[in-house]
Amino acid sequence: MIRVAAVGDIHMGPESQGVLRPAFETLPDCADLLLLAGDLTRHGTPEEARVVAQEVRDLPVPVVAVLGNHDHHDEQPEKVAALLEDAGVRVLEGEGTIVECGGTRVGVAGTKGFGGGFVGRSAGEFGEPLMKEFVRYSRRCADGLRTALEELERQGCGTRVALTHFSPVADTLAGEPPEIYPFLGSYLLAEAIDTAGADLSVHGHAHAGTEHGMTAGGVRVRNVAQPVIRRAFNVYHLHAG
Amino acid sequence: MSRSAPERSEENVEYRVAHLRDRLAAEELGELGVRAEVRAGAVVVTGTVPSAQCRETVLRTVHEELAGLSVHTDVVVAETATPDHAEELP
Repeated sequence: MIRVAAVGDIHMGPESQGVLRPAFETLPDCADLLLLAGDLTRHGTPEEARVVAQEVRDLPVPVVAVLGNHDHHDEQPEKVAALLEDAGVRVLEGEGTIVECGGTRVGVAGTKGFGGGFVGRSAGEFGEPLMKEFVRYSRRCADGLRTALEELERQGCGTRVALTHFSPVADTLAGEPPEIYPFLGSYLLAEAIDTAGADLSVHGHAHAGTEHGMTAGGVRVRNVAQPVIRRAFNVYHLHAG
Repeated sequence: MSRSAPERSEENVEYRVAHLRDRLAAEELGELGVRAEVRAGAVVVTGTVPSAQCRETVLRTVHEELAGLSVHTDVVVAETATPDHAEELP
């Protein structure tokens, strides 16, 4: 059994230091790894990233993260990622990482992902260059997730988790206004997950959404945005693999 | 037939709510998760924010932007407790 702890949308700022640390210090008792599903900061500034880095530095479990749209707002996501990596966090974008958990190789594939919407109600790659780029960017994120999941399988991971910020399914957006679903996720992420296979999909971004969902291919999806789970993190026991 | 003059945008409640949302996103909060909706003549503001300080800033901004309107707020601070159980995924 693999014990996966996960949370997203912690939106840390200057006054947040130490708010989550006491809960994170209990992680070795209940989890084998911690996933951070993006929007770790409010504006993506280095100052905010340092607060996050300090909050998770030297935790006794591996920490794997993707960035969210807030972490891009200050237009220096590389700096945010570097500050987190310096604190020992593995930050993924279109790539995977392997965590050894009690002799089992657990693969985590990650991308921020992007919007575009869900089948029948989605943006198309057509018209103005800006619109085409919107959809192409979402597709590139999904392609990165698929190839990372496939590579993890080739590397013999018995358990694979897809980590995104944007949602792969509409299920976990229930509670959000339907009109904004195209800004909350994309079916392209779910298609990537179903094509490559995964044991769990974890995302954030939709603060008013719901925790549980599933892809069309039967992969369980969990929205771990902190306002949704109403805890410092949630823990999932994966018996797959 | 007479027609009344169109309302100025700052007098139109819908636009004032839109401006509130813009301001919450643009200023120090970077807050996109607070919802503001017009219901039965009042503005209802709901959402979860990361800290008590953010909550105070949101409420102050709401009351500045929507001064003179009937406003109901239900803005809560994100909970940070450790989970008391795990979900089994067989």
